[in-house]
Amino acid sequence: MTRIYSSVILLKLFWKGRFNRMKLGTTKWQRNLFIATFILPTFLFFCVFTIYPVAQAMYYSLFDWSGSSDNKKFIGLDNFKEMIHDPIVWNAMGNDYFLVIGKIIGIMILATFFAIALTRFRFKLSNFFRSIFFIPNVISVVVIGVLWNFIYNPQIGFLNSFLSLFTKDKVDITWLGFTNHTIWMLLPPAIWAGIGFYMILLIAAIQSIPESYYEASGLEGAGQWTQFRYITLPLIWEQMKVSILNIMMTTLNGSFVIVLIMTNGGPDNSTQVMGSYLYQMAFSQYHFGYGAAIGVLILIASLITTVIMQKLMHQETIEVS
Amino acid sequence: MKSGISNPIIKIIFYAILVIWGISVLYPLLWTLLDALKNNDQFFRKMPWSLPDFPLLWSNFTYVWSEFSFGTYFTNSVVVTLGSTLLGLFLAASTAYVLARYPFKGSSALFLLYISSMMIPFSLALIPLFFLLNSMHLTNSSFGLTLVYASTLIAFGIFVLVGFFKSLPKELEEAASIDGASYYGIFFRVMLPLSQPGLITVGIVNVLNIWNEYIIGTILVNDPVHYTLPVGIAMMQAQMQYRTEWGPLFAGLLITIVPILVMYMFFQKQIASGITAGAVK
Repeated sequence: MTRIYSSVILLKLFWKGRFNRMKLGTTKWQRNLFIATFILPTFLFFCVFTIYPVAQAMYYSLFDWSGSSDNKKFIGLDNFKEMIHDPIVWNAMGNDYFLVIGKIIGIMILATFFAIALTRFRFKLSNFFRSIFFIPNVISVVVIGVLWNFIYNPQIGFLNSFLSLFTKDKVDITWLGFTNHTIWMLLPPAIWAGIGFYMILLIAAIQSIPESYYEASGLEGAGQWTQFRYITLPLIWEQMKVSILNIMMTTLNGSFVIVLIMTNGGPDNSTQVMGSYLYQMAFSQYHFGYGAAIGVLILIASLITTVIMQKLMHQETIEVS
Repeated sequence: MKSGISNPIIKIIFYAILVIWGISVLYPLLWTLLDALKNNDQFFRKMPWSLPDFPLLWSNFTYVWSEFSFGTYFTNSVVVTLGSTLLGLFLAASTAYVLARYPFKGSSALFLLYISSMMIPFSLALIPLFFLLNSMHLTNSSFGLTLVYASTLIAFGIFVLVGFFKSLPKELEEAASIDGASYYGIFFRVMLPLSQPGLITVGIVNVLNIWNEYIIGTILVNDPVHYTLPVGIAMMQAQMQYRTEWGPLFAGLLITIVPILVMYMFFQKQIASGITAGAVK
């Protein structure tokens, strides 16, 4: 049956060759038309809704502009000069990198731990845990933010009610109200929400390691820790690098949504990150030029950080191997 | 060594940590349901983890659905999510097919352009997008939101689908073309049905992203008639300062989460593999 089928295909291929040679002119024209109709609409759409806005953002960053067309004033790089003297920008940037570092440490440790526990340890319920741990990744950041706001709620929240079990008086700490440390409070939800994704990435990496490596080292008496340190870790390091870069980029680009939902940058701008400051400047204070300039700053920051981190982690790879 | 680790104490500790984390993930979902059935009095009088009093206040659900317009938000979310996913899938699949099968001068540069656009922080485009849509009279409209969402899906879709089309055997297309099928016929009748698994993976990841999307929705829409669910929830939470109704808020959260959890139960494999496909470059 298969043989008949394949010989039909061969025959058809043969005929196609002759057919193509005969009608090459029209076929080529038809082919180009086909390519154009399949490439151009998408490209046009992409230009209008992605490339044009990105280019436009850089252009806007050179203006002092409140949104209406009559008072759009070209000011060159003044927005960027103003940013240097704006303490909130520096604070926001500090918060961004605080979240980047905190998330990298928290997520990588826990995700690696879970990935190893759910593969090398062969627990019976491994698959069940894996599905459960991924759930926060399919839930909207808005929902996650609201849930954690409730945990932190000073009067009726989980955290204070729980702490009150151990104290005489009712605990009423406003967890999101400190000017100095509130940014710390945003770390647990961010880590909680991020782990499943990176756990899945690392599980895939661990499962691609040949079982024979572990068997051979086991015969020579290597314990679980030695195997982790000298087999698993070096062999999943590539994937860990990808994960670390990915955490960095998604945090710089997207952590502001949870900030907007949980603290809106407050109290007193202390939890502002670059994205939330951009949002506030542009859409509540109507400094669109300044907002666009913050956007450009985010772009530059994430590009530079990517390059630096790639360099740093490249060196470490050599050390490991 | 097939048995994995031998030391039972370490094994128990590891197991305990897994169980604790599992509870930390599942428990919030459980109390979202329990708290959705309480009234304000129960929130202030009792512990947040206490069970709701009888009769259970299922009316909180009908209340947010009509009083807080979650019915409208739900419809908007469904329309925008499905519309943009279908449009985005079509735009991505058509280009991905040509890039995979009919390379032309500059096609690899085009592919690179799409892929590298995934590196650009989206916050950069927010301000110009608002003014662009405003000038097209497409702010405060589900249609405008659908278009923008569809555009955000293109790069990822192309990235995954080019690989998928390349993995399909060429013989079928060749056979179809000898049978006289046109280029379009081959794409729609042969390739699209064959690439269903790839399309489903990309489609599901897109549905997930759009259903949960907040920031574009809140920038492009400020008329409650066109809110999507995440925007509606954020607005409801903001109102809580003046009008505390915790039970209904949790009911609203649940209305947002449940459809996505149901989808997750059915398409777990595709979601995990699709979501991670974008990160492995």
